[in-house]
Amino acid sequence: MQTPFAVAAADPSSTNIWAIANTPILWICILGVFAVIFVQTVLYAKAAKAAAPHIEMPARELKEAFRAGAVASIGPSLAVVLVAIALLALFGTPAVLVRIGLIGSAAAETASASIAAGTMGASLGGDSYTQQVFAVAFMAMSLSGAMWMLCTLIMTPLLKKGGKSLAKRNPAVMALIPTAALLGAFSALTIAELPKSNVHLILVGISAASMGLCLYLAKALNQKWLKEWALGISIVIALVSAYFLHTA
Amino acid sequence: MSSTSLSSSAAASMERFDRQTSRYGSITMTLGLILSLAGPIYIAFFSGMEVTASMVWVALLAVAATFGVLWVVEPLTYFPILGSAAMYQAFMIGNISNKLLPAAIVAQSAINAKPGTKRGDLAAVMAICGAATVHLTSLLLFVGVLGTWLVHNIPVEVIEVARLYILPALMGAVLVQCIVSMKALRPTIIAVAAALLVNFAVIPLVPAVGPFATALVVAASIVFSWVLRQRTAQAATEN
Repeated sequence: MQTPFAVAAADPSSTNIWAIANTPILWICILGVFAVIFVQTVLYAKAAKAAAPHIEMPARELKEAFRAGAVASIGPSLAVVLVAIALLALFGTPAVLVRIGLIGSAAAETASASIAAGTMGASLGGDSYTQQVFAVAFMAMSLSGAMWMLCTLIMTPLLKKGGKSLAKRNPAVMALIPTAALLGAFSALTIAELPKSNVHLILVGISAASMGLCLYLAKALNQKWLKEWALGISIVIALVSAYFLHTA
Repeated sequence: MSSTSLSSSAAASMERFDRQTSRYGSITMTLGLILSLAGPIYIAFFSGMEVTASMVWVALLAVAATFGVLWVVEPLTYFPILGSAAMYQAFMIGNISNKLLPAAIVAQSAINAKPGTKRGDLAAVMAICGAATVHLTSLLLFVGVLGTWLVHNIPVEVIEVARLYILPALMGAVLVQCIVSMKALRPTIIAVAAALLVNFAVIPLVPAVGPFATALVVAASIVFSWVLRQRTAQAATEN
């Protein structure tokens, strides 16, 4: 039982990817993922609200944290939107929404799709990129993403047990680990950008300097909102600089 | 209320928060996993694409050879930063390093909470809730609804520039923010030194380390920050 729409559009050797990539059943599955994340968000916020008063954390701080997270993610979200739009022609809207927008990242998912297409002797976006190649690439990306979630589901409870016993034995370690891990992660991710090109090198500097300036001004002028917007402002300044450096 | 009963009720309520989020988190993540596979399974096997199981296996093996280690390494890397509750959010919402972690740090610094503390954990969870709300909305609105329209109206070179340079544009700022909000000089120096060493010495010598680079720097930062910690400042960190 197939919808007439899919029957009319489906042809394994056709290169009309959008015909198969935008079928209604796919849209329903993808909107289901959105709904699941939305429900999770509501449940988590409720749980946090219930716990906060007992650790002497006023509701105002929860709201502030929510708003700070929301504002901080505007820039990165819009950046993801831009990249997603660039990939729409390749994967169609539902696949882009769920793979690039959620769960994975543009780099990892596009790489996965390209590797998967390669195993079928095809290249993404080329003449050999048929509906069948798309189907296999989409399947491979999704299975890879599923493995990430499966590992998270299996390992989180195990790590939590380890973390708990460590926290009891040595609270100083548990305070130090996240600090050191965060600094380590962002140092590694930032420094990995430096050798990519001169433009990357300059942009890391511009972005870092913009953030430094925003944080300094936020403190000097006592403007708290500037602290929340600092990331978005820095990204915009760096991307505008990137546009001029790139086209220069 | 005495301080002991206050702290025990705090512990109990965080315990309940952990239990609740673990249950909600694992159930919603399992649902998300099933739904995210349902779409491609339908496309590949139930819409006349003539896809065989062996095509999928070969493709998956090729992808696994590239990213298989990250399936395991990434959850290990992010667990100490995110805490167990946020793990179930982060690995479903995605874009962890470029969006969720910065959001969590910004929120923690906005209310002056340190990561790893109870306030820090709740702030991170709320920040990710905020980030998820913005993200779902902007994806549905700008990609889902306006995507087709936008494709024809945003200049191609703008998209190209954003795709090429979003990482350096983001990371420089995030690193500075991270350093400023942590106020931890030794771990900062150790982390930057480890990152420089791994990126410019270890990877060129042993390219196979590449996929593990971030995990390696994180591990080195944790170990050396602990070994080289300022012993006299012990009292200060316990406050």
